[in-house]
Amino acid sequence: MRRPTLLGALGVMVLLGAGCGIPAQSEVRVDGKGSAATEAGVISRGSEPPTRTAAGSDNVAFVRNFLSAASGEPDRAYERVKAFIAPEDKSRLQDKKGSEVALNVVRLGEAIYTLNSDSTTTVKIAVQQIGMLRANGTLAPPVATETEYDFGLRSASFNGGVNDERAGLYVIDPPNVLLLSDTALRQYYQDETIYFWSSDRSRLVPDQRYRPQAVPVERRVNEVVKWLVGGPSDWLRPGVVGLPDRTELINNATGGNGRWEVNLDMSGDDQNGIDQLITQLAWSLGDLPGQLELKIRNNAQPVVDLGERRDSWALYPHAASPQRFGVYDGAIHPLDFEGEPSGTVPLAPEVNRNVVSATLGLAKDRRILAAMVVTGSKNRYQLAVGTGTEQVSVLSRSGGTGYASISRPVWLRTVDSRPSRGLVVADGQLYRFDEAARMYPVPLNLPSAAVTAVAAALDGQRVALIAGGRLYVAAVNLDGGGVSIGPPRELVTSLTNPTAVDWGREDQLVVAGSVGQPAIYEISVDGALETPLRTDLGAKVNHLTAYPTNRSVRTPSGAYMYEANGVAYRSSPSERIDPSRVRGIAPVPAGVRPSNPSAPFFLY
Amino acid sequence: MSGRVAGVVGRAHQTWRRSLQVRVVTITLVASSLLVGGFAFLIADKITTILLDSARSDVRQRVTTGANYAAKQVSFYGQAQEAQLQETIDGTVNYLAGGDPQQTSGVVVAITADDYPNDIQTRTSPSANVQSLISPELRAAIADGKVASQIRTGRLTGETTKYLIYGSPVPTRFGQIELYYLVPLGRQDVTAADARATVVATGVALVILLGLLAALVTRLVVNPVRVAARTAQRLSAGLLDQRMVVNGEDDLALLGASFNQMATNLQRQILRLEEMSRLQRRFTSDVSHELRTPLTTVRMAADLIFAERDEFDPAVARSAELLQAELDRFEELLTDLLEISRFDAGFAMLDSEPTDLVPVVHRVVDRLAGLAERVGVPIELDLPGTPVIAEVDPRRVERVLRNLVGNAVEHGEARPVLITLGIDETAVAITVRDHGVGLKVGEEKLVFNRFWRADPSRARQTGGTGLGLSISLEDARLHGGWLEAWGAPGQGAQFRLTLPARAGDRLTTSPLRLVPADAALPFGGPRDGGTLAIGPGTGGALAIGPTPAGDGQRTEVHS
Repeated sequence: MRRPTLLGALGVMVLLGAGCGIPAQSEVRVDGKGSAATEAGVISRGSEPPTRTAAGSDNVAFVRNFLSAASGEPDRAYERVKAFIAPEDKSRLQDKKGSEVALNVVRLGEAIYTLNSDSTTTVKIAVQQIGMLRANGTLAPPVATETEYDFGLRSASFNGGVNDERAGLYVIDPPNVLLLSDTALRQYYQDETIYFWSSDRSRLVPDQRYRPQAVPVERRVNEVVKWLVGGPSDWLRPGVVGLPDRTELINNATGGNGRWEVNLDMSGDDQNGIDQLITQLAWSLGDLPGQLELKIRNNAQPVVDLGERRDSWALYPHAASPQRFGVYDGAIHPLDFEGEPSGTVPLAPEVNRNVVSATLGLAKDRRILAAMVVTGSKNRYQLAVGTGTEQVSVLSRSGGTGYASISRPVWLRTVDSRPSRGLVVADGQLYRFDEAARMYPVPLNLPSAAVTAVAAALDGQRVALIAGGRLYVAAVNLDGGGVSIGPPRELVTSLTNPTAVDWGREDQLVVAGSVGQPAIYEISVDGALETPLRTDLGAKVNHLTAYPTNRSVRTPSGAYMYEANGVAYRSSPSERIDPSRVRGIAPVPAGVRPSNPSAPFFLY
Repeated sequence: MSGRVAGVVGRAHQTWRRSLQVRVVTITLVASSLLVGGFAFLIADKITTILLDSARSDVRQRVTTGANYAAKQVSFYGQAQEAQLQETIDGTVNYLAGGDPQQTSGVVVAITADDYPNDIQTRTSPSANVQSLISPELRAAIADGKVASQIRTGRLTGETTKYLIYGSPVPTRFGQIELYYLVPLGRQDVTAADARATVVATGVALVILLGLLAALVTRLVVNPVRVAARTAQRLSAGLLDQRMVVNGEDDLALLGASFNQMATNLQRQILRLEEMSRLQRRFTSDVSHELRTPLTTVRMAADLIFAERDEFDPAVARSAELLQAELDRFEELLTDLLEISRFDAGFAMLDSEPTDLVPVVHRVVDRLAGLAERVGVPIELDLPGTPVIAEVDPRRVERVLRNLVGNAVEHGEARPVLITLGIDETAVAITVRDHGVGLKVGEEKLVFNRFWRADPSRARQTGGTGLGLSISLEDARLHGGWLEAWGAPGQGAQFRLTLPARAGDRLTTSPLRLVPADAALPFGGPRDGGTLAIGPGTGGALAIGPTPAGDGQRTEVHS
């Protein structure tokens, strides 16, 4: 009885043990073809700097190429530059890795080539240190102080004898830094504007970056997201907020064909914050069309069309098309030009008196903000401020006995209905003022506190300053009802003795100064890129206003007006603003010398 | 050892043969084990297949998604040498592995680049050496652009585990890299083992249950059958009042009831027959006794007449002689009847004593010498020279011999009668051979019947009673011996009496042959080198027999 039972159980066990269970090893099972291959082929790359041998034995071209060699992806910058350096001297250039790679951007001055007896050439190049181009695309203030770099050139042909055209040249005794000329920066980098939220999260503030053109455009989204994750430029930090701490991009931002995927590891699940991030991304991606799928820790957010998002969330909601005004005989008058809109003076006639210079701004609900410098008693000036919806009829005047000089005031524009504030320079001191024309000094962390000009960007979070003959930009923090200016960043320019400044674009300043003779330059917000606008001015510019073009309002760019030697001019076409442009003035009797319109400005 | 094994096997075989219950239970167990085992195998196999398939489809989906993701991630790079490619691969692997290298799901994600071993390093997350687990065949399949999988056992992060390795090619702009998912099958393995254990336990329990059930049912059936068998044994042993216990109304109860009824009927019949038989024997005995008294009187009168017969006229004297002879026979018949009725009544007693049979044979031959001489039959003896001692009742043995020899002489037809005495360790035997008309086929049993005659019409010369052989048979049986006859037409007959040498012993063999050495073969074949004749028989059949004597005619058959 027991034996068969045992046998039966044993049989079952053996059968089961031998027959089933997951095998320890199986045959390879093929499930079919993998996903379709990515189209092979060349990535669409932008221009890359020429190689060492491209210049042949032409010293000048070779040096130009050498000073361009660092451009491109920072990972291989040292590799590219070392290709130019003679093998025996390569060790002189010490490698840095990762985020420490920084390029010394220099504005080239005069170069002296001296042929030596050993058939090498010594090169002396005068430079102006513009800044450090970091791996994250920002141009930081310069660290190096050299004003001249020396290095040698030798032929790459083996015995150093006859210069072989094809062998090219080598750099010997190279400088121990990566140098990049300003022309190379212009040529091999694409400047990009990305945006960060202002510290009160009410508006987007532009920040300037440089993307190597060697980076394929497919990676643009990836680069932009990395920049955003990396945070704003140092000088901008007081006025803006970056992404939440410890935010990381998970792998690469991918996509193509109008659909982009960004996966972020970001703390906080505030839907409003995520929505703002999407807006930030949409504007930071420039005019990139397509759909954006943002994932926060793999949680997909609703897909957003980038163009629609930009259309629905304007960068500068209250910036209408500009109208030109000027001061004529102590009163503000519209200036009429064909093909341009012009309006009436939004000031009651009784307050439109004794005006020296003025700024009119449009705030929310088309409220008029007026800030004017008016003549007071004893040849002193006062600030007069007034607001109103259609017309400003009451002005508040600054207290005290007035100032010996007051620059043109500027409004710090806001998008909400908070009381507006402005900045003005009076007697070399920067003041903020409110709608009641109360003025409070604003401390500045500058070696020379003698401020001569101030200009506010359209976003109201950045200002440009001229202090002690130097040009600065700084971030503005409007938190808590006050106005504080962050540490100013000096811009290294070719211009000397800047006299007037205004914002010509989101990331460009229009600066009047001197390059031997008075000139007007357009200078990027980091000082690296300069474009001369006028170099043929006969007199010093003491008043300069520009309409800052931006991506929300598409108007002809480069509209600026200035006053030099008591005569007002306008740009595009560049011409003098003569009295015939001034509307609403009585005809000048014959024989009487007409006065000139002065202190022109834009209402926007 | 082999002896013990043989003993065990023998016992098992015996048990198997003897016990219906063991057979039924064994068959049930074996059959149900096979059945349950088969089902268990199927179920366990199915469960394993389902588990594996589900794991496969799961991993397949992950690997497809992962490969798409990885393809997107590396699509920026046009060359395997690009600096950030390795970083991207690291990030991709970490991302696909769930981002957190500390997590312990055990899944290992790996990206390899077999085509670019110098530019791209293999990356896994969590860090493990997967190269040994990914077989060359799998690599070859992936390198061929296929999505493929394989199960392998190995050790990556913890203990040795079975891994489902799924690989997929990841297309890039510069060629192909490979994405592998190594998913431990520990959970599936445990689940499969659990399922298997459950199925086995259930199967074993089922088999045991079936065995017990079979044992129970068989017991229910077998027990009454055993009781019936025992009862039948007792009944056959004469305990006619044995009955089965009948419980309930089922088939077994019906069997018991029928059995009991049969037993009752048999008992009644047997009792009736016994009673009848007893009455019959009583009657015979009574009649014999009752006849004896008048016969004694008649005998005395007849003896008187017979003594005075010389004084009568010859015809009356002849009648007196006839009367005397028939009275002898009548007395003899009466004696035999009484003897038979004693046997029937079971009163016959054996009076065994060690006896030398040789004098007994001589005595019988002497007593029948007169008759033999009269009918001209010579009696030949073949006796051993030594005494033949056996524990027998000499009176009965002598009666048997007298009867046999008398019959032989009577049917001897003037041919010699041979009496042979044989002995071995256990038995003694006496054969009596005559060469008379012999016995027809079947008559060797009939000769022992009471009042049987081979030829009813034949006149009885010696006035035998017809009971002699019956009494002899009873005598032989009383000794525990045998009395057998052989005969063939025309060849005479031989009777053999075999008795145990010691009273009460069982006989197994006889020292002498029943069929005499000179007897013809059953079909009358040739003897002692004689020829066989084949010729036409009756009814068109072929007759095969011995060649007729003195014919001398021979036919040579040549092939």
